[in-house]
Amino acid sequence: MNPALLSISDLRKALAAGELSAGEVTEYSLALIERQNPAINAWTQITGQRMREEAGRLDRQRREGSPLPPLAAVPFAVKNLFDVAGFPTLAGARLFQNRPAAQVDAWAVRQLSASGALLSGMLNMDAYAYGFTTENSHFGATRNPHDLSRIAGGSSGGSAAAVAAGLVNFSLGSDTNGSIRVPASLCGIFGLKPTFGRLSRSGSHPFVGSLDHIGPLARSTADLAQVYDALQGHDPADGFQASQPTQAVSALLEQDLGGLRVGVLGGYFQQWCDDNARAAVAQAAQALNASQEVTLADAELARTSAFIISASEGGNAYLPALRSSPQSFEPLSRERLLAGAMIPAAWYVQAQRMRRHFQQQVLPLFAGVDVLIAPATPTSATPIGQQSMRINGVDLPIRASMGMLAQPISFLGLPVVSVPLRTAGGLPIGVQLIAAPFREDACLRAAAALERLGIAQAPAVNLE
Amino acid sequence: MPPITPDWAAYVAQMEQVLALELDDARRQELLTQFSRIAAMAAPLMAFPLDDRLEVAGVYQA
Repeated sequence: MNPALLSISDLRKALAAGELSAGEVTEYSLALIERQNPAINAWTQITGQRMREEAGRLDRQRREGSPLPPLAAVPFAVKNLFDVAGFPTLAGARLFQNRPAAQVDAWAVRQLSASGALLSGMLNMDAYAYGFTTENSHFGATRNPHDLSRIAGGSSGGSAAAVAAGLVNFSLGSDTNGSIRVPASLCGIFGLKPTFGRLSRSGSHPFVGSLDHIGPLARSTADLAQVYDALQGHDPADGFQASQPTQAVSALLEQDLGGLRVGVLGGYFQQWCDDNARAAVAQAAQALNASQEVTLADAELARTSAFIISASEGGNAYLPALRSSPQSFEPLSRERLLAGAMIPAAWYVQAQRMRRHFQQQVLPLFAGVDVLIAPATPTSATPIGQQSMRINGVDLPIRASMGMLAQPISFLGLPVVSVPLRTAGGLPIGVQLIAAPFREDACLRAAAALERLGIAQAPAVNLE
Repeated sequence: MPPITPDWAAYVAQMEQVLALELDDARRQELLTQFSRIAAMAAPLMAFPLDDRLEVAGVYQA
């Protein structure tokens, strides 16, 4: 039995009943990763020694009769922009391969380890988190478990592929403009991008301070919620964290949808996608009794603003290295970063002011609706190496545009769950369930309802 | 007044000097492609009439 295929609750029960030990979970997981990772290229580092030590501590606790922590013996892995003590933090970049090892874990990794989860390693991503495909020239492309010739999406592509292949129960990713929701959509799993400022980012390598979020990816809403609950908490080291009390959501998932008002995002979100994405939204909308279409005026300008803020802040962060060691850069991103570093201040400031304007236009809409539905990506996973996709009659660069429907939402900082549906052709595609700030519970309840109805499902792909 | 079409090649060349970059022709051409794409996106944003009392989002609180 593959322990990574059990739900977190069932794994805990098996552990408590003595049917499994953390050590057995660890050895099975490491062997599975060793065997199957070469097909998908998700891991850039496997932390076997650490995982065995963590498992040993848990098994001692269990033998002594100590209570089991909430994520006891649950195998996970993290995008390689999270600090893990003893290893250099790569952020997908060859540039950082020789940097000193991190001294301590990122805050989120500490939370998960303290909750009993077992870290199996670090995962591939687009270099610098700048891209939506995880085609990394140095570490190789991560392959989509549903079709190994296709992209996993990005930038948290390794995080999505590892979960979709059933090699870990959950993973951590980051989302600046869609980097959790895009790979969750293309790999057919659930992903949660919480409200901006909800979870601490400290100890993760930044890309765009104004927009970066972190969050979990999993194959069920129950697992997603349990991991999210473990990640909550105040971190005084994160200056961007919101001063909101924690709100545990796991116990709320079973509530029915009574009273939850659902709408569909029209306009831009229906225009810039293909028929498969529109069909997925229609299916979710019907199941959730969506009763209204909502239009976000200026959504395209919101996307543009997020694009400019990302290019400018990201370009500025990497400018010194772009000048001193350009040969160490990802060739697919180098000149894009440099162009960002040249953006006039007037464009950047206009984009930041536009963010306030867009917020003032959109937040009042939540007086009449609790959850909004939109496609997570314009289309399903494209072949590795393909440069452009034709959407709405326009050829768009995949690396920069696969997140175009996610960007306006993270620009607002709204919480979103991406839920996996299937296209007629069999490939997965995600639908965003979006709520008002700090209403992660509403997104997750709607996601759980779609899961109970069998509309959103994320069975692990068997690679053997 | 007819719309102004900026000479982005000249702008990028100036910025290359300002930022003390050393680029070969291939990189310069790719840089111009990337910058022109951003500039095309920025044009409608810069034309959007924001209220003159509207502030930047700052340290954003959702």
